[in-house]
Amino acid sequence: MATEGSPVLTRALEDYLETIYEFARDHGYARVKDIASARKVQPGSVSPALKRLADLNLIKYERREYVELTEAGAIEARRVLSRHQILTRFLHEFLRIDAEVADRDACALEHQLSDEAMDGITKLFEFFTACPQSKSGFLELFHNCHLMNAANPRCKACTLPASDQPKLSIASLSPGQRGKVRNVSARPGIRQRLLDMGLLPDVEFSVERVAPGGDPVWIKLLGFQLALRREEAVGVQVEELP
Amino acid sequence: MTTLKLALVGNPNSGKSSLFNALTGEHQHVGNYPGVTVEKRVGRGHLDNTPFEVTDLPGNYSLSSFSPEERIARDELLHGGFDVVVFVADSTNLKRSLVLLTNLMQLHKRLVLCLNMADEAKRAGQKLDVPHMSRLLGFPVVETAANRNQGIDELRQMILKAASDPIPQNRLVYGERLDQALTKVRQALGDGEVEGFDPEIRDWIATRLLLQDEGLVFKGPTVEAAKAEAAKQREWLESQTGMDASLYITHSEFGFIDGMLREVTLHETMPDARATSDKIDRVMAHRVWGLPIFAVVMYVLFWLTFTLGEYPMGWIESGFDFLAEKVGSLWSDPSESVLASLLIDGIIKGVGGVVVFLPNIVLLFLGLAILEDTGYLARAAYLMDRIMHRFGLHGKSFVPMLTGFGCSVPGIMATRTLENERDRLTTMLVLPLMSCGARLPIWMLLVPAFFAPKWGAAVLFGIYAFGILVALLLAVLLRHTLLKGEEAPFVMELPPYRLPTLRAICHKMWERAWMYLRKAGTIILAISVLLWALSTWPKTDHYQVEDQLASGALQKVESIDKAAEAKEGQPKQVTETMIENMKKNEEVQNSALGHIGRWIEPLIKPLGFDWRIGTALLGAFAAKEVFVAQMGMVYSLGEVAEEEEEGGDADEKADDKGEKKDEAKEESTSGAATLRAYIRRDYSQATGLALIIFLLISAPCMATIAVTRRESGRWKWALLQFGGLTVIAYVLSFMAYHIASLFA
Repeated sequence: MATEGSPVLTRALEDYLETIYEFARDHGYARVKDIASARKVQPGSVSPALKRLADLNLIKYERREYVELTEAGAIEARRVLSRHQILTRFLHEFLRIDAEVADRDACALEHQLSDEAMDGITKLFEFFTACPQSKSGFLELFHNCHLMNAANPRCKACTLPASDQPKLSIASLSPGQRGKVRNVSARPGIRQRLLDMGLLPDVEFSVERVAPGGDPVWIKLLGFQLALRREEAVGVQVEELP
Repeated sequence: MTTLKLALVGNPNSGKSSLFNALTGEHQHVGNYPGVTVEKRVGRGHLDNTPFEVTDLPGNYSLSSFSPEERIARDELLHGGFDVVVFVADSTNLKRSLVLLTNLMQLHKRLVLCLNMADEAKRAGQKLDVPHMSRLLGFPVVETAANRNQGIDELRQMILKAASDPIPQNRLVYGERLDQALTKVRQALGDGEVEGFDPEIRDWIATRLLLQDEGLVFKGPTVEAAKAEAAKQREWLESQTGMDASLYITHSEFGFIDGMLREVTLHETMPDARATSDKIDRVMAHRVWGLPIFAVVMYVLFWLTFTLGEYPMGWIESGFDFLAEKVGSLWSDPSESVLASLLIDGIIKGVGGVVVFLPNIVLLFLGLAILEDTGYLARAAYLMDRIMHRFGLHGKSFVPMLTGFGCSVPGIMATRTLENERDRLTTMLVLPLMSCGARLPIWMLLVPAFFAPKWGAAVLFGIYAFGILVALLLAVLLRHTLLKGEEAPFVMELPPYRLPTLRAICHKMWERAWMYLRKAGTIILAISVLLWALSTWPKTDHYQVEDQLASGALQKVESIDKAAEAKEGQPKQVTETMIENMKKNEEVQNSALGHIGRWIEPLIKPLGFDWRIGTALLGAFAAKEVFVAQMGMVYSLGEVAEEEEEGGDADEKADDKGEKKDEAKEESTSGAATLRAYIRRDYSQATGLALIIFLLISAPCMATIAVTRRESGRWKWALLQFGGLTVIAYVLSFMAYHIASLFA
């Protein structure tokens, strides 16, 4: 579970640390009775746990009413809390699990997950929230996918070869740039029209110009010229050609 | 000899219409498919001695079920019973335009492939082995340049030859995997009957099943099994190719065409074939300059339409006046004869009022035909799409709406350039809100009557702007309610700039002009006669003027003696013309139209209107500018009428009477100015505002209703336009009247 460098903490101790940190952050102090009521235990049963935390040098606790985090304790508490938050957000925002359930599940997961797995989840989460390319609604695609939920209409995008390159569409290229079509995804009627127009995998095109306001986009392919709205152009995934 | 049934199929921009014209000459009929706003063209002619009838199917890129045009073309091909189908391809863009041909090859038809615009392709360096192409495809191939009448005779021969040959074998090859999948579906279908479909087109049905085309319903004992097999084959194809069925099928269609073209191409098109066109686009479709240039082009077009149109309009007007005079001279006293009145006031004036706009229509459509045939209109749609799209309209909606400022009728006719039915209907329905040229005389009468001269221009501009605003909001509303549905994509081919041929342009112009004359003309004739009848009957057999003359209240004189008039107690002096005018006024009041005017008065009272405005509004339905004439008629212009009405409260008005007299004298040179003075006297500014709004928005004229009915294919839309706009006008006028009354 815990790796070298971090003190060995049981699940209960981690929870106590988290609680103390939250009280200290929100109120400036943490009292034994607050901790007990937050953890839903008798104040008497808090003491042994606090003593163990004090032994590990994570808190200052001298049988008084107030509990203080040591520097090491604060670091450890923040680590635990951030794991909790990321897991809660991951469960709630990505998997769309109910907020309350997500919070409870995060509590259960945060203690059991290896640092390696936690690192992976954190990175994935950061990538999706921070990467500008992910704005094309990839998460939506996941949730609307036919394979994930039979109630969803069938989506044609997933049968195409996956690519390790960032997703570019005709709409993301500027006049003067050239590209090659990788895949076309759009509502059935419009998709068929785009296909009939020759926007098929491996067809090369160049962006000639854009209309006032940047929409529609004017491209040249297969020896003829085609104008299409950005709305439609985003459905045509491409790779840029030099 | 039986008539040969032919069909023309092909992409838009493939020169299908010019080929159609080249085959049929002027023997064609343009209408709509029943119940939809999709144009149907049928023409007739002879191939040697064989009579034929040819249908120009809507231009298409595919034969699936996604748009009404595609569905109609497909259903016609399946069930239309055509003997020969001529596929028209654009030689300068063969790869793209031949893909649709692969769809047709499965339909078990006698085909002829027509490579149109071959002259242009040859100039660009392309050289094809046409006989070899014909061998590969299994049916005749002809090169033509329809707009220059080249290759048409050969095409005629090939059609005749194809008609006498047996239906050729389908030589479409999709490639190993797809053919294997299709064979499996085809086997599952077996020899089972598919209701309503030719047993010979099972290949096509199998393809449709594999594509999961939901717009098609197949029924038959083996269909379910075939569907299950199709689902299995889809999975298999996807796992094998990494592409879903519709992508892979289109891919294979392109593959077949590409392979065939590689075999028959002797010389490729030069890479710089479109260089000139591209150079023009660098200016005309420029991101910054494109729109200003478009504005100038449109301005010049409208300027030419209305300035050049003035001369022939004058001729037509005097022509009709001359005709009216000649007809009148057949009677010794035309005013006594009902027939003379019907011919002169009903028919000649009613129809003349419509025909007089013909020069405008001809010129406007001449200009639009040139812009369309050069390819510039496609660029205009590209430039305008962003703005129009915000209001749920299409880039191509712009030109028809702009045309509506001239006249709604050609504007609605110009919506034909819109491919999508919903876009076309939306544009058509809101188009009458563009303040048309016929409404200009009304504004010229009312604006100075109700607003100070310094506000005139601003109010006039406001009227136009308000119309546009309501139109755009209404378009948004329509797209969210009645005409809800997927928006048509803007995926438009931009053909190279071409020099239009005189023949094609004249044909287009003539077609529209004739349609205007004939269709709108017949309905207008009927309504003109109806309005004439309403304002003629019941006859007035007893005039109050005559009573007054008899009793001495009025005195008939040669000319009015100004000095005598001033004396109180003296009988009022009237001239012959004045008596005539007063009689006319009484006739209008007593006629059915006058009664209807009074009858609808309670209805329009909340807007601040009275029966006189009511009658004029009824007249405005015939043609908007009739409002002015009708107001003049009910006021029966002349000073006497004014004095008569004022007689009762002479004392009350004594103060401003002198002032008014001066005004009347000053303005007596102009009838409109006098009428304006009466209107100002009788109605408040709030009524004026309500009236302007009502006339701008309400009930488009009958010509508009007629043409909307024609172009939309249904009375439903014409009546909706009529009713909807009238209700909106009523509500807005009501609000305007009451809000303005608060501030008065």
